[in-house]
Amino acid sequence: MKKEDTVKLISAEGFEFVIDKKAAMVSQTIRNMLTSPGSFAETEHGEVTFPEISTVILEKICQYFYWSLQYASGKETEFHIEPELTLELMMAANYLHT
Amino acid sequence: MESSSDLMIGMESRLVLMCIDAATQSRDTVEKWRRQRRTIERMPSQLAEALLRRLLRRRLLYPSLLEVFKRSVEEIDLRGENHVDAEWLAYLGAFRYLRSLNVADCHRINNSALWALTGMTNLKEVDLSRCSKVTDAGIRHLLSIPSLEKLCISQTGVTGDGVTLLASLTNLSVLDLGGLHITDQALSSLQVLTQLQYLDLWGSEISNTGAALLKMFPKLSFLNLAWTKVTNLPNLSSLACLNMSNCTIHSLLEGVGNKAPLTKLILSGATFFDVSEALLYVQTSFLSFLDLSNSSLMRFFFLPYMSALNYLDLSGTPMGDDGVEQIACVGANLRYLNLNKTRVSSAGVRILAGHVPNLETISLSQTATDDLAISYISMMPALKVIKLGSMCIKGFINQVGAEPVPSLTALKNLQFLEKLDLDETQIRDAALCPLSTFRGLSHLSVKSASLTDMSLYHLSSIQKLINLSIHDAVLTKTGLDSFTPPATLRVLDMRGCWLLTKDVLLEFCKRYSNIELRHELVHILPSETDGFPSTSRVSSKTLKSKQKLGKQAILSSNSLKDMFIDQRLKYSREELLALQFSSMSLAPSDGRGYLMPE
Repeated sequence: MKKEDTVKLISAEGFEFVIDKKAAMVSQTIRNMLTSPGSFAETEHGEVTFPEISTVILEKICQYFYWSLQYASGKETEFHIEPELTLELMMAANYLHT
Repeated sequence: MESSSDLMIGMESRLVLMCIDAATQSRDTVEKWRRQRRTIERMPSQLAEALLRRLLRRRLLYPSLLEVFKRSVEEIDLRGENHVDAEWLAYLGAFRYLRSLNVADCHRINNSALWALTGMTNLKEVDLSRCSKVTDAGIRHLLSIPSLEKLCISQTGVTGDGVTLLASLTNLSVLDLGGLHITDQALSSLQVLTQLQYLDLWGSEISNTGAALLKMFPKLSFLNLAWTKVTNLPNLSSLACLNMSNCTIHSLLEGVGNKAPLTKLILSGATFFDVSEALLYVQTSFLSFLDLSNSSLMRFFFLPYMSALNYLDLSGTPMGDDGVEQIACVGANLRYLNLNKTRVSSAGVRILAGHVPNLETISLSQTATDDLAISYISMMPALKVIKLGSMCIKGFINQVGAEPVPSLTALKNLQFLEKLDLDETQIRDAALCPLSTFRGLSHLSVKSASLTDMSLYHLSSIQKLINLSIHDAVLTKTGLDSFTPPATLRVLDMRGCWLLTKDVLLEFCKRYSNIELRHELVHILPSETDGFPSTSRVSSKTLKSKQKLGKQAILSSNSLKDMFIDQRLKYSREELLALQFSSMSLAPSDGRGYLMPE
């Protein structure tokens, strides 16, 4: 995979998730960061840090990005959300506009 | 619908909605997250409120659960929740940032319950409408909240003395005192409330003396004096909306100073002492909403001066074809016109035809209009809603020396037509035939004893039909069995179709489980409704195609097979009747059976 096609999402604890740019674009917020004109650090390095989002939640978010792409292409599967994660995930989703 | 209310607050995020859904599956799921206090405290208020609303709707909210939301929620709407009582308010009293509390129609709310609200200094809006146990003593508790801007206490037990106390809440701008026995004296004590913009006094004891005092509220823009003894209303310089329904009116807004910039005037059921006097002082140039239904008006000479009108209700007045010319004068902006129960005939509709380019709704029920009116109506290009209910409508226009032409064909020109109402007509099957090609029609209602199974056949090809009512028709088992409803159909109302049996109706429901069926014998709700928790994790709004919707409906109906939606379903009719006398709390149904497809 070419580096330009991926982005690195970094959690509060410093864990790094390298995912397809296409998947990350499911989030309106990340899309804006990566595509906005002007040279944001995020645009240049393809790296976004989320000091407010824990590793567990960021992992779930990345899973959701891929699930969402699949769903849009017609593959209907269930996206399971553990009840313990619902609140944190809701806030992250709200922030990421996804 | 769950989705619509969530969308209203601008939550377009699908994952947020999925999370709310997952968090509110059952009591167990709630237990899994309710200890995460710090997280809930950090939550943006609109998310916390959306979660709270869903918990309430799924019947998962109970007083002690409210506690976790005490720092994150600013608005709470518990309208009509019968179980809301003093214990709920005790927890809500600790909501530090609460700005708006709505407990309208919560019948268990009493004075002592309101004690919990004392000192809530962020509270700006309180709605206690129809909490009949709330009296003057309850008002005293509210006096400790000087920040209050909006207070609704209509139809509570508050008396004039209680209203007098409100004078200390000087920030009030909205005050709903409807249905209370307030005298002129009580109103005069409220004169210090100079911020008032909205005042509702319907059904009070206010007389002309009280009405004269209204000048003391310089910002008053909304006033409701319906069902009062007020006959002369003085000029109020900022009044935009006035309701004096069912009053006897001598004069309106007479007096010096700037004319009231009225935009909305409701005089439904009013008796006029002298028409030319009554509306003489009303500035009509801004008036956009006028309701004169069932009033005593005989002449409508004032209409041509109301060029901004877009809503006009003249139903139940003696408006005849000669008066229609006056409506036509101001037809340019009209969007809604109600002429039910007037003397208007097809000749009147003809006069109107070329003059209402923007009219979206026309009502002509219980008039003497016949099929000719339909052809004139088809010349009103913006129509979305047509209500025609007249015994003179047969569905055909007879031409000399030629075959009769189906009159409804003319409506095909109306490209925006969505709703068509043909109740109480003499329409036969063949007359409905043209409807099958109507592209945008989503709601259709017909009521005629001459309709048979053929009608169902014609109507089954209306592409976008969502709601279909066929009342009093001679529909049979064969007709319903061979009826293939349009894929979009959601509600089928066949009340008064007396030949249909319960078995036939249940059979239909089994085949089309996503259609709500209404009939005297059964009332069957579609399998996928708000009434009970959905069993799948992904809520229905995330599913796009109809196919998917249908699939889910089947899924949930299967899983609910062993569950009773309504406790009454467990019992037979005999058992229910026995229960009726054994306990008040188990009062049986109102005669309509709520049944699930088996």
